[in-house]
Parts: sequence; C-alpha cells; structure tokens
Amino acid sequence: MGLDSPAFQAYRGTEPPRFASRAELECAKVLDYYGVPWMYEPRTFVLETDEAGRVTEAFAPDFYLPEQDLYIELTVMKQSLVTRKNRKLRKLRERYPEVKIKLFYKRDLERLAQHFHLDLVS
Amino acid sequence: MRELGAEIARDYADSEPILVGSLKASFVFLADLSRALPILHALDFVELAGYGSSQMGGHEQIRVLKDLDADIRDRDVLVVEDVIDTGLTLHYLVRTFELRRPRSIAVVTLLDRPYRRLVEDLPVRYVGFVVPDELYVGYGFDLDERWRQLPDLRLLRFDPASPDREF
Repeated sequence: MGLDSPAFQAYRGTEPPRFASRAELECAKVLDYYGVPWMYEPRTFVLETDEAGRVTEAFAPDFYLPEQDLYIELTVMKQSLVTRKNRKLRKLRERYPEVKIKLFYKRDLERLAQHFHLDLVS
Repeated sequence: MRELGAEIARDYADSEPILVGSLKASFVFLADLSRALPILHALDFVELAGYGSSQMGGHEQIRVLKDLDADIRDRDVLVVEDVIDTGLTLHYLVRTFELRRPRSIAVVTLLDRPYRRLVEDLPVRYVGFVVPDELYVGYGFDLDERWRQLPDLRLLRFDPASPDREF
C-alpha cells in the first residue's frame, strides 16, 4: 500500500517515497515544512543471518535525517504490542552502535499530532 | 528568572546582545527576562506560521509572519523561546539567522522537553526547566489562543468524560 505524496522540497531520496501509513506521510510533511532534509527508508540494517549468510532478519527505519545523522522509526501500535519492534531496535543498537535512532511510539505521535494538528488516521 | 538573568549577564558582560522573542508564547517570559537582565540589550521579535496553524494558509513551506526589524549582522543574538519540543521551529530560525552573519547565536528557553527532540544541532545554552510531557497554559502559553493571560504557568488536564477542559 502506498499513499500519494505531495511535491516535497526537503526530500533527499532518489525514488518517490511510498509511505506505508498516514502517520509516516504526516511526519514527512512536517519535516518538509520546516526544511529539514529527510530520506525515507534509505537503508536496511541486517540484524540476523543464517549459516549460509542469508538475511533472516532486517530492519529499515522509516526516516533518515542526513543533517542530523539520525534515523527515526514511527510506530502506531499500542504500547503493549511494540515488543517485537523494541527487540529489533535493541538488536540494531547492539550491532550498529554508531547508528543514532529514535523510536516514536504511539503516544509520542499523538503528542506530535496534537502539537501540529495532524490527521493520523484518515 | 534572576538566576537566568545573572547567568546571561555574566556571559554577555562585554556585549550588548539582542534578545529575539519567538512569538507568540514567549512574550511574557521575554518581558520578565529582559527586566531581570542587568546589562544593556536590545529587543526584537519574530513569528513563524507553525505547521497546522490557521496562519499556515495552505503553504507547504514555512512562512515568516513577522521578520526581525533589526539588522543582526555582527550582533550577539539570543533567541528567547517559551518551550523547545521537536526543535523544528528553532532549527529553522537559527539557520535563517545564521545567513545574516551574526557574531553569535544562542538560545534561552523557559521550558525544555529534550526527549521530544527531532533535531539536535541547536545552540540551546540556557534552560529554565526541563518539564514532563504535559500541556501547560498561562504565562503566555495557550491552547487555541486561550488562557495566555493567566499570570502563572498551569498544568492543563483533560477530563475524558467531559468536553470541558480543566486546569
């Protein structure tokens, strides 16, 4: 599934972003409005491989802010359902300690939505 | 306020900084800070249309509603914020001001929520209080333009059983 994107000004990716959720689209619009350069899922981090070297687990954070050297992952799941994502994040931090990443939980997004009057659900 | 004023006065003892209030919510804090600052300083204001505000007017890029009156070239600029959350507004302001070649830029904020930061490279030098993730009104802070006039800062609590807001 993908959501139609407006013409972004601060987007630094090569392919048009195909957002998986309304929350991702709204976050992109806010970053763009404030002129913060951003990319959408530019890198997939390998978390686990099998004995043959095949990737068995990977993680592609939603956004990357190149000027901040910061990855951002959004989750709209309820707090009780984010265990799997937290585990992935922990693995990423263990295997790539140099990578800066922030996870925005549903509550954080609700605060952002309140602050910026975002529509995260329609 | 006295502590902040004394600290800033000490750091800018050999300067005459320009304090730039980021409207609207910072105006009360700026007024108090200015009166607590025992050194010569100038005042100016700037206002940006926040994302999602009615002033955004359908623009997809940020809009300056009120620019500085003063020329800040070779000046020491102290941006006065009410609260720093994501840092997006401040990030834009600082980048814009830097293009005007000030001698220095620093930020003083009454409240700070560093855990909500999206951008980190901000010259935040003076912080009044790091506060929990709550909503405040009064002392210049508003909700939909209401309650700015309350003389002190108050915690806003929503009653889910009622559309009325209590604080």
